[in-house]
Amino acid sequence: MSSNAREGMVYVSTAEERIVHWLLAGSCLFALITGLGLMFHSWEIIPTMLGGYYATKWMHIFAGIVFAISLVAASIMWWEHCKFVPDDLKWVSQAGGYLWEAHDLPPCGMYNAGQKMFFWFVFVFGIIIVLSGIVMFNPLPFPVTLARWAYMLHVMGVFVIASFFVIHLYLGTFGNPGTVQIMFHGWATREYCEFHKGKWLAERDSKGEPSE
Amino acid sequence: MAEYIKLIDLTKCTGCRACQVACKQWNELPAEKTGFTGSLQNPKDLSYNTWCLIRYDEFEEADGMKWIMRHDACMHCDWPACVKACPSPGALVKTDSGAVVHNPDYCIGCKACIVACPFDIPRYSEHDEKIAKCTLCFNRITDGKAPACVTACPTGTLEFGLKEDMLKKAHARAAAVGGSVYPNNPKYETHVIYVIPGDVKLAALQHVNPNPKMPATILWWKNLFKPFTLIGMGGVAGLAALHYFIKGPHLVEKKEEGGEADV
Repeated sequence: MSSNAREGMVYVSTAEERIVHWLLAGSCLFALITGLGLMFHSWEIIPTMLGGYYATKWMHIFAGIVFAISLVAASIMWWEHCKFVPDDLKWVSQAGGYLWEAHDLPPCGMYNAGQKMFFWFVFVFGIIIVLSGIVMFNPLPFPVTLARWAYMLHVMGVFVIASFFVIHLYLGTFGNPGTVQIMFHGWATREYCEFHKGKWLAERDSKGEPSE
Repeated sequence: MAEYIKLIDLTKCTGCRACQVACKQWNELPAEKTGFTGSLQNPKDLSYNTWCLIRYDEFEEADGMKWIMRHDACMHCDWPACVKACPSPGALVKTDSGAVVHNPDYCIGCKACIVACPFDIPRYSEHDEKIAKCTLCFNRITDGKAPACVTACPTGTLEFGLKEDMLKKAHARAAAVGGSVYPNNPKYETHVIYVIPGDVKLAALQHVNPNPKMPATILWWKNLFKPFTLIGMGGVAGLAALHYFIKGPHLVEKKEEGGEADV
């Protein structure tokens, strides 16, 4: 426990977790921006601001390297939390109470089923993006059919991850007040944790971890 | 500018390599160190500094040994896959004349064109971090001259002229010698065409794509998933905004004293 206890608050996210999360999100966003700048000729403003197409290509590659490393770290970090449990089906069948009134929502662990789904989408398509990106970095040693598939799969992965990224961004900020601060200082209110992470909080309290 | 075609009549080629040398000279490309490989083909392959190459093929058939010389260079596609794949505007351009021209000033060395090309033409230089290929001597044809290789050809194998004239000529010549015109795909036209002798099987030749077309994966990449990235993000952002305005933020429900959560 790195931080001092705060009245009525629960320490949800450790510094290591927040750093990995920011690296993953930042590199993903920067790779997305540079990638779109390279893909859409009409968005020449992006490579121009970044110092030209050649510079943008290398920035995209380095952002991809950071993304790959933080993807590995994030996967190790969140793997256990993101395993599905039977209650997740109940959560999904009611859309987590986000679209209509839900009366029978089971308490969630650290993450709800939607967050878990986002994790697995990022994990699977992140691997596709990273592997195809390695092929695209130097396609010459690979069979040409494989190389062509890599270009296609790279952009398909972007389509999936970028779309989910926008949902994730909305639900982490405007959609759920009190959430975004967890990514900054790691603390959330006890009410927030009871509502969003009830099972996790109960387990945590039973272990008697000092936090408040 | 009118559309041009370079016609290569393989029934006339003697493999003298004058085109290969003229290409080097006009484009100021340095010579390469080569060795004897057991073939008349020299150097072995196209390269960053060899944009035009006479390929030599020999093959045995029931009625004896056959051989053929073939002038190999960029085919200058009408719908070029390399240009479609290129991320840097101006690095690969299809011009009105039909020539597909690369501009080293804009090339960022991403190698996407090499992957996309159905004819395996562009070549990459580690040293320059750029690609290079035949330009159909764009800097000559805009000046009313024929490409350097065509000017140098002593046998009439290479001819350069208006698209309609060359197409007519190619089909007439193919009919006269019992050969065929390649490529002969109205859906994938090129500004370089061959007359292939009748006794030569296209599939037996090295470095030939018997059925050239825009690679399907390149089309899926550029025509489907590329717009979908923006449609996906924009659509989801729109839905998120609608959710916020209609449903409002997902507020934490306060627990009542000693009771269950009030929904």
